[in-house]
Amino acid sequence: MNKFKVTFQPNNKTVEVPKDTTVLSAAISCGVSIKSDCGGDGVCGRCKVVVKKGEVLTQPTGMLNDEERKRNIYLACITTIHSDLEVEVLPESRIDPSSRLKGIYSKSEEIESKEAVSSDKVFKHSPLSTKLYLELPPPNLNDTASDLDRLFRAIRKAQDLPVMQTGLSNIRQLGELLRGCEWKVTVTLGKRNDTVEVVLVEPQDTSNKNFGVCFDIGTTTISGQLVDLNSKKILGTKATYNQQASFGSDVITRIIYARQNEGIEKLHSAVTGTMNLMIKELTVEHKVNLNDLTCVVCTGNTTMIHLLLLVDPTYIRREPYVPTANFLPVLRASEAGIIINPRGLLACVPGVSSYVGGDTTAGVLSSGLYNETDLCILIDIGTNGEIALGNKDFLVACAASAGPAFEGSGVSCGMRASNGAIQKVKISPKDFSVTCSTIGEAKPRGICGSGYIDLIAQMLETGVIDRGGKIKLENHKRVRDSESGKEFVLVFKEDSASSKDIVINEADIENLKRAKAAIYSATAVLVKHMNFMLDDVKKIFIAGGFGTSLDIESAIKIGLLPDLVRSKFVFIGNSALAGARQMLLSAEATKLAEEIARKITYFELSVDSGYMDEYMAALFFPHTDLNRFRPRDK
Amino acid sequence: MALQLITEKWSGEVSVVTIGAANQEGGTRSHAVKIGGEKSLPYLFKEGSLPNKPQIAFEILDIMPSDWPNAVSAPYGKTLNDPLEWADKCVRDYQAGILCVRLLGSHPDFGNKSPEEEAQLIKKLLKKVSVPLVILGSGDDAKDNLVLPAISEAAKGERCLIGSAVQDNYKTIVASVLADGHNIIAESPIDINIAKQLNILISDMGLALERIVMNPTIGALGYGLEYAYSIMERSRLAALAGDKTMASPFICFVGQEAWRAKEAKADDLPDQGIIWETLTATALIQAGADLLVMRHPKAVEKVKEYIDNLFRS
Repeated sequence: MNKFKVTFQPNNKTVEVPKDTTVLSAAISCGVSIKSDCGGDGVCGRCKVVVKKGEVLTQPTGMLNDEERKRNIYLACITTIHSDLEVEVLPESRIDPSSRLKGIYSKSEEIESKEAVSSDKVFKHSPLSTKLYLELPPPNLNDTASDLDRLFRAIRKAQDLPVMQTGLSNIRQLGELLRGCEWKVTVTLGKRNDTVEVVLVEPQDTSNKNFGVCFDIGTTTISGQLVDLNSKKILGTKATYNQQASFGSDVITRIIYARQNEGIEKLHSAVTGTMNLMIKELTVEHKVNLNDLTCVVCTGNTTMIHLLLLVDPTYIRREPYVPTANFLPVLRASEAGIIINPRGLLACVPGVSSYVGGDTTAGVLSSGLYNETDLCILIDIGTNGEIALGNKDFLVACAASAGPAFEGSGVSCGMRASNGAIQKVKISPKDFSVTCSTIGEAKPRGICGSGYIDLIAQMLETGVIDRGGKIKLENHKRVRDSESGKEFVLVFKEDSASSKDIVINEADIENLKRAKAAIYSATAVLVKHMNFMLDDVKKIFIAGGFGTSLDIESAIKIGLLPDLVRSKFVFIGNSALAGARQMLLSAEATKLAEEIARKITYFELSVDSGYMDEYMAALFFPHTDLNRFRPRDK
Repeated sequence: MALQLITEKWSGEVSVVTIGAANQEGGTRSHAVKIGGEKSLPYLFKEGSLPNKPQIAFEILDIMPSDWPNAVSAPYGKTLNDPLEWADKCVRDYQAGILCVRLLGSHPDFGNKSPEEEAQLIKKLLKKVSVPLVILGSGDDAKDNLVLPAISEAAKGERCLIGSAVQDNYKTIVASVLADGHNIIAESPIDINIAKQLNILISDMGLALERIVMNPTIGALGYGLEYAYSIMERSRLAALAGDKTMASPFICFVGQEAWRAKEAKADDLPDQGIIWETLTATALIQAGADLLVMRHPKAVEKVKEYIDNLFRS
């Protein structure tokens, strides 16, 4: 079979692939990240590349204009390789690796550590795995207990523990190991549900070096945190894009992709690859030996957890929407392909249903919602928005598919919240001039979710758009016709980093309107379903990737959040990651998470007759029922 | 013990829209027609007043209708060729109190008449007859945006009811109507949310809610009548419960829908169309229709009788 060499710029990475491989697959196989929201169906037009040298074959597409065709620009997903190639990934199609680890996500963690106080509950310190230093009495003719019994006896003497077990590989090396270090050993004890496992036996005292990692695996973003299990200290927090995004931007397209040839393997290695990279960076930066990393806790929506564990997610999207597992036993991390100590453990936060996963459980845990006396609501704004309502007496949750618009996907100039993303917008009511602020104060590259929320609120306020979302401003240099209805120019190309105008068009507004309607109507229906009024809710926890920069007034103005007294809103940042950390550090929290997951009643919106009505009524800015968004004292 | 009737108390009411301006109001109409004003669900006189009877407008076209079955075009005979004569016949022979002119001839596919031609026609029509007018465009958005401002200007001061404003095309029409002192028809596709949104969008432009008449879009008997009925009922309940943005009276294009029914077109049963139009109209009156646009004089006669009976009690 013919093989060709493909070199990608600006990464300068080369890979050898068979003829007829798509440029996108070649890029993925050598670790070059190219944006692709549709998972390679050729419909999103995000994966633009310039073919500098070599021959390719492509399919017809409407996503490229004549000028782009002249410049030899192709869509990577529908273009196959027919000779050695040199390819340049266009700036707007790159997933910028430098912004992966910094930017808004590290900021959101600052908020989170502050907000972790929102639940004043402090769990008993009892990490998923602990280390114990033992000096065993050597055997003699009067004490002929076997090496293993001797070890267990010593552990039981130090701690009152239930059933104990260990692996064969530990037993095989035990005799030599114990005698080689004069019976002075450190054992790592892991909690595997109701039993305790001697995970590891090491010579000498290493008990002061015991670390763990927790992850929140989001559809779009993966966040990870390195924790010292002895001191409970957070050593470092990282966030990066979920590389699965190249295969589709929402869970449904990924579930479909998983069915394709080796699809699930690709999705699995994309997520574990991302996690392993983060682990590596965290351990190197904080000078932690990979062998001292003894456990991992992961949370995420049900689909993400299935893909992490290489479990077929197909049945999640088929009626009656049943996942393979919600509660997972504690496993060995290496079985899932996560690289820490080879015998280290992996726990997953228990989920509730196919569309309400462990991230909701973790959010309810860390926000303290389960412990509140008053009625509270947790709104996690993401691609798959989750809403939990309740207090210490009851918990009910639903999922609303908002789509990726608020994460900057599926909108013409959208981008994820990283360097150069417009996050705040001000439009002058006099001459409609625009002032924007960007993340990292960089030259604007696009608009992120919080930027879109601000932008629409401003466009409404200044009358650039009407309440249906149509652009009504006329005869102005910022307004012009486009293929997707009229568009409004925020930043002219002279001032943008992509050397293209940054615009919002009527189709984008429609997309965002649908996303906000999904979140709002799910909230309203859930509250109504439980026979409450929105005003009965005493506290609203807002979680999500853009929790830090989200302007609450703007979010209410466009009808994303209910119009309630502003002091009721509490930002909790990444609540799922905080909950995963609590589980990492405390068996008590783990137990509680299980209780919470069992206690949450899943409410399926699609079977509620009122949901469609609510959704349709919410397709207006802020809402068709204006009484719900009255100006009032703040 | 005597039976105690439970009556509902409503906090809202349907707004009153006045169509046509007489001399003293700056127009040239012989009278004005008031619709709306209900304070109860249809004809529950014990619960609230219903000050204005439903009105019936005769529908006429600016061109010879091509798809009207014989049964409905027969009564008008040759006048169908001449909108002025046709209008005159409706008023003189059938005592029409209000007329609805549909400017279908301005549609690019049906003659593509110019805005000037249509404006001239409206001017002549206003001279020929003295009843208030409902004026409709052809339904082609781009063309309506040229024609309707022209006829709005031509009929300035006559307080016509002009339509239709739809969700994707309302700004030009609303601006003209606002400037020339007319009322507007807000048309939604059997969708209560869009109906309400459109009313809000129009009132956001400065046109008072009291100058909007809603066209909820209806279906004839056997062709979705009950769907339209329930949408109208829900809208009316919202209005009576105090939602001002839903408190506009309804206009229903009964003739247009009824005479499209297969049953109405049956040549061997010429009366069936009349029955179809009558039944569609009476059902919609029970749903709260305020202004019915109809075609057959006999059907109009029957429905008028029905209305009089309702109000006799």
